[in-house]
Amino acid sequence: MTKETRRWQWISHICLASISIFCIIPFLLLIISSISDEMSILQNGYSFLPESFSRDAYLYLWEQRGQLIRAYGITIFVTVVGTSIGLALTALLAYPLSRKDLPLGKFFTFLVFFTLLFNGGLVPTYYVYTQIFDIKNTIWALIIPVLLVNGFNVLLMRTFFMNTIPDAVLESARIDGAGEFRAFFSIVLPLSLPILATIGLLQTIMYWNDWMNGLIYLTDPSLYSIQNILNRILTDIQFLTSNSDYAAQSGKTISQLPSATIRMAIAVVGILPIIVAYPFFQKYLVKGITIGSVK
Amino acid sequence: MKYFNRLKVLFLATLLLVTACTKNESTTNSSDQSEGSNNGKEETYELVMAFPVFGPVPKDMDKVEAAINKISKEKINATVDLEPISIGAYDQQYNLMLTSNEKLDLLMVSFRTVDGLISKGSLHELDDLLEKYGDGIKQVFEPEYLNAAKHNNKHFIIPNYNEMAESNGLLIPKKYVDDYGIDLSKVTEFKDLEYVFEQIKKNNSDIAPLVPAGVGFSILDHYRWYDSLGDSIGVLPNYDNDLQVVNLYETHEYEEHLNLLRKWYEAGYIMKDAATNQDSQIDLLKSGRGAALISGMKPGIAEDESIKFGMEMVATPLTEAYSTTRNVVGLNWGIPITSENPEKAMQFLDLMFSNEEIARLLHWGIEGEHYVEVSENVIDYPEGVDGSNSGYALNQNWMFGNQFGSGYVWNGTSPKLAQDYKEFNQTAHLSKALGFTFNAEPVRNEYTAVSNVIDQYKLSLETGSVDPDEVLPEFISKLKAAGIDTIIKEKQKQLDEWASHQ
Repeated sequence: MTKETRRWQWISHICLASISIFCIIPFLLLIISSISDEMSILQNGYSFLPESFSRDAYLYLWEQRGQLIRAYGITIFVTVVGTSIGLALTALLAYPLSRKDLPLGKFFTFLVFFTLLFNGGLVPTYYVYTQIFDIKNTIWALIIPVLLVNGFNVLLMRTFFMNTIPDAVLESARIDGAGEFRAFFSIVLPLSLPILATIGLLQTIMYWNDWMNGLIYLTDPSLYSIQNILNRILTDIQFLTSNSDYAAQSGKTISQLPSATIRMAIAVVGILPIIVAYPFFQKYLVKGITIGSVK
Repeated sequence: MKYFNRLKVLFLATLLLVTACTKNESTTNSSDQSEGSNNGKEETYELVMAFPVFGPVPKDMDKVEAAINKISKEKINATVDLEPISIGAYDQQYNLMLTSNEKLDLLMVSFRTVDGLISKGSLHELDDLLEKYGDGIKQVFEPEYLNAAKHNNKHFIIPNYNEMAESNGLLIPKKYVDDYGIDLSKVTEFKDLEYVFEQIKKNNSDIAPLVPAGVGFSILDHYRWYDSLGDSIGVLPNYDNDLQVVNLYETHEYEEHLNLLRKWYEAGYIMKDAATNQDSQIDLLKSGRGAALISGMKPGIAEDESIKFGMEMVATPLTEAYSTTRNVVGLNWGIPITSENPEKAMQFLDLMFSNEEIARLLHWGIEGEHYVEVSENVIDYPEGVDGSNSGYALNQNWMFGNQFGSGYVWNGTSPKLAQDYKEFNQTAHLSKALGFTFNAEPVRNEYTAVSNVIDQYKLSLETGSVDPDEVLPEFISKLKAAGIDTIIKEKQKQLDEWASHQ
């Protein structure tokens, strides 16, 4: 290795290392705050080395486990069902669009592309979903709006199909007697695992982290996902501390609001599974990106 | 092509399935409703009632709802569908419901949003309905307060009956008063507070004696000697001033108060970062970083605040109680135009104000399950139940009609609180402009500019963080440049117009 390249290695490693440290530090602070003593946070602010530790926040969460486990169940259900349906629909839409012999193919592709640029806006969307499809306060409210099929993912997958599945492969399948479905399920999908995993991961993360749908379409707390619970607690606290007019009235409610450490603990609980699951998906994600770039 | 068709059919079938599953629910709902009508020919109407909740939604809401419906069906042949919405999402959700014409019959509106809703025409006019069905409501209110909630001389909202006036005073934990030998009887007006702060500082130099009473609030936000006429841009000093609107920031009193605050700040009596503080007053006092705060006062405030702060608090009023429009129009009930049956909505409102049973259910839940009577008219949690596991620990009695309509008070509060409130409301001084609401629409541009200037200067000035001798003249000249005089002129015009109708 020449001196020059070695120096480059050093510089790039230092740069990348510092970027990752900046990404990790907030997480670390989050986890440490969740096991800090409430009083030391109030007195000295958040710190990496709190004066005293306490597991009160997690004990509180354990007491409230009924609600949390339910919310976890909702989140997992929504993520699994949403990702599966979404992935299936995306693939089923992207594949025909990738075929050059699809009649009006350009038109349909444009329709998908159009949704990337324009949408109906919040009020019409809300109107259609609540008045026509009637999904308010149902589990579908967390699955269908915005997240189910994303035009960007469709175009991504379409490009992948066009670039990595040679026409010759499809032709040989046809010669061997495979119909369209057989060709799709037995040839195209197995060859497209990297892109499926990539988009699957993107969707999983979007579903796991989503609180917007719950905020708009849910008033029934029994359908809250873990993110909705966290979001609700945070907005409640924000609202009550900055509107002392209401707060003056609701002394009893305020005294029961979760403290800072409990909020941190909920965030940790909400984030943990995705951190655990990420490394397993990561290799597919990298593969998906490199395969796309080589061809 | 055949395959493509098959695919299309598959896709449509899934879509149909998804919508069919969800559609079912609404159809069963409506059939429930029609089965329920037992009172002759008229069908029982289901009222949708949206209101904010300040914590988790109680899990026994449905039980309470069912119990209410039993009474209301008999009395007014209507049932109610309670739609509690978490406060953080409340404004967004009810706005979506209104704009998409979703069924909504009763809506809680706050003083912040009421003007916008009225000018958009989203609320029904209530005068006729109030005349016809509102006797119970009228009995609860002193007439001057109910009148004060009018907009453009018409009723659009019914306020909740709680404290209709406010005084200002000092809130301080009892332990400091006892430990540091503070004689609160010596404290009767604003400048006397110096003595309290001196005592605290002398005994404990680590603590900031005075902290703001909330994030984003200045000290003077909770100490007023004038009717702010809604926004403190153009005010009535001494709640009267012969209805002559003046610029608060130019008055001599304002400057005097700022000078005093600056003196306190420099002496270390006010929290150093009061202007940029992001911690709630509760956190500040609990952690021992702050000792006292100036806040609005009402009957029973010491008990209320003791619960809130988790330690025994003492309250010392510094001003007399005055009632302004803002005190009356706090949280109110309105009937949105999306309501299909405003008559029933009004009847239910009236019932909520006048029917003890319904008030008890909304305020405290079901007897025996969520509360028990421990002594006469004093209630507490049943055995083995507390705030964390009760199915209905809403504690929002001040939001459902008459705060004392249930005839009960919670254990720990004074049993004669209801009388105290009544007396407080009846003896409070009335601002001469009580009932006036300013419509800022004609001076929209100036209003935004002036609000921005105020945001820029107010917090640092009114916490003593900057020297008023230098900054106050700068503040005033920027206000003038932003057009505060135009706003005051417009306000004066509207106020004169309003006064001529009284």
